Amino acid sequence: MPSDNSHSAVSHKAAVIIRLEGVNKVYGLGETTVNALRDVNLTVNAGEYCAIMGASGSGKSTMMNMIGCLDRPTTGHYYLDGEAVAEMDDSQLAHVRNRKIGFVFQQFHLLSQVSALENVMLPMIYANVPAAERKERAIAALQQVGLGDRLNNRPNQLSGGQQQRVAIARAIVNRPVLLLADEPTGALDSKTTQEILEIFGNLNTKGMTVVMVTHEAEVARCTRRVIWFRDGQVIHENLKPEDLMQATF
Amino acid sequence: MDLVESVKMATATLTGNRLRSALTMLGMIIGNASVVAMIGIGEGAQRFAADQFKSLGPNVLFIVPGNDNARNRTLNIPKTLVLGDAKAIAEQVPSINDVAPQLQNQAPVVYGNKRKSTLVIGTTERFAIVRDYNVARGRFITQQEVQRGTPVAVIGSKLAETLFGTKNPLGERVRVRGLSFKIIGLLASKGSFLGNNQDDVLLVPLSTLSSRLTGRTSPYGVEVTFISVSAKDKSQMAAAKTQITNLLRLRHKIVTEDDFTVRSQDEALSIIGAVTGALTIMLVAIAGISLLVGGIGIMNIMLVSVTERTQEIGLRKAIGATQSDILIQFLIESIILSAAGGIIGIMIGAGTVVMVGVLTPLKSSVSMPAIALAVSVSGGIGVFFGVVPAQRAARLDPIVALRSN
Ligand SMILES: Nc1ncnc2c1ncn2[C@@H]1O[C@H](COP(=O)(O)OP(=O)(O)OP(=O)(O)O)[C@@H](O)[C@H]1O
Ligand SMILES: [Mg+2]
Repeated sequence: MPSDNSHSAVSHKAAVIIRLEGVNKVYGLGETTVNALRDVNLTVNAGEYCAIMGASGSGKSTMMNMIGCLDRPTTGHYYLDGEAVAEMDDSQLAHVRNRKIGFVFQQFHLLSQVSALENVMLPMIYANVPAAERKERAIAALQQVGLGDRLNNRPNQLSGGQQQRVAIARAIVNRPVLLLADEPTGALDSKTTQEILEIFGNLNTKGMTVVMVTHEAEVARCTRRVIWFRDGQVIHENLKPEDLMQATF
Repeated sequence: MDLVESVKMATATLTGNRLRSALTMLGMIIGNASVVAMIGIGEGAQRFAADQFKSLGPNVLFIVPGNDNARNRTLNIPKTLVLGDAKAIAEQVPSINDVAPQLQNQAPVVYGNKRKSTLVIGTTERFAIVRDYNVARGRFITQQEVQRGTPVAVIGSKLAETLFGTKNPLGERVRVRGLSFKIIGLLASKGSFLGNNQDDVLLVPLSTLSSRLTGRTSPYGVEVTFISVSAKDKSQMAAAKTQITNLLRLRHKIVTEDDFTVRSQDEALSIIGAVTGALTIMLVAIAGISLLVGGIGIMNIMLVSVTERTQEIGLRKAIGATQSDILIQFLIESIILSAAGGIIGIMIGAGTVVMVGVLTPLKSSVSMPAIALAVSVSGGIGVFFGVVPAQRAARLDPIVALRSN
């Protein structure tokens, strides 16, 4: 357990954002069951910047879905920002996803028929934010990711990097406590990857807790903590990013 | 999420896919247009029939010989309606205004080298009043002429046009079966009744026709084809019918089956009403089936739409849409499709009804109940056929949905 609280300058004890206790996830029934997560125990504090790494099929996405409240553990407990989410029903989970979590996906997942601005306003519609405030906040979020001049463009009029920035703006616009990204740079070239990582870095500096899945050591090295998965288990929960080069798992 | 946002979202999706939305609405458009048109035209037909009967004269009862409802059909009931019956009714039935017996026969009417087979009606001076005919020129047959059997005639406007063209027929003579009649009056046009032109007639004194032309008499006196009676007012019709029936039963010494029938317009009208009503119901049923097909079309497209938009649904759920948010969004889409289709259909149907009213004698008009029916049915169809696709969308697992391609 990482007990140091070096990121928290003000309070001597950082708030715990993610706490997983003995989490298991089993897919399928009968003989073809897959233990996608096995007895995962993990704590992430407010303000941390983590990378989840591991071989393909090791359970990283399953883990992200779990902490993103898209899925519930088969057994075990999950506390998000102090709330026990494993026991919540579907609509409570939807509410938690809306208010507490921002998602960024590898394939961006923008609505193709509406503008960047409208894409970013979408989470606030589900949060019942008044229309005027919605627009204001969406513009601010797009400016934060450097797209203040692309408000009215549709996704197909934007580059991949720009689309991912719209997706980041959408993820942060409801002021979540946790920003999750599953291979956010997987579909981008190295230059655009750097731009996206810069945005994540800036958000984290301002206090946002960020957890991302990545295959690339380059990407992971921008974070401050690496969590390593193998066969559904956490085998290293606090690797130093700078040690990644010599680490081969 | 509030309803306004849901409606905006649904409209954006539907207008983003214009052609598909339009084609999906087509079923509803056709269904609603037919419902409104069918009901409007059906009601127009009923109104047309009612007006036709009014043209027979106000509060008229017809007494015809024979009895269609006789239980013993094998017994050939003698048709013995005679002039004396008409006189007795006029004298003894208190609830009536006037009586006009009529004896009629299809016969050729000749003028110069023109010849036209026409309904020649022998009647009395009361006929014009009972049957609501107006004389446009000249005068009607008088009581003296009926008593004396004078060979004079009043000509219908259609027959006059056929025989005389634009020439004034008054004072001219026409021949019917060798007998010459002097034209003393020209009737104002009355239009047709159920396809029979009421203006293609020649009216002559009943006595003239019976004694000199048909010669039809029975042991009881001069036989008539039927007797028209006008009741004092509408409320007296039933009384008049009973009184006439009783009187004629006495006169004809009837102990078992009547040998005559008293018919009122209302009865005939109710039969026609029943027929057109049944026709309307059938047409509406057909229109209803097309609404059903339209609804299934909507369901089909909505199911396709859910499949196509699986990723979008997953994304919406990932950023916080609840099951009911998704359900409502898809439900509103199908409701908009069916309601918009309904409204367009209603407008087309109403347009058709108005056009039919202008172009044909059917006095069709847009029926408000028909519109109410169409609106509620199409709204209901949107909900009914939208529920299954919307539920399918709402229940999608966000992880599976996001991963789908
Ligand atoms: N819905 C599912 N049903 C059954 N098995 C599943 C399901 N989702 C994932 N799995 C299995 O769980 C295991 C972990 O999958 P997961 O997607 O978490 O891997 P990953 O680490 O994200 O891999 P990659 O790096 O390729 O994205 C795999 O063996 C996978 O086949
Ligand atoms: Mg994965």
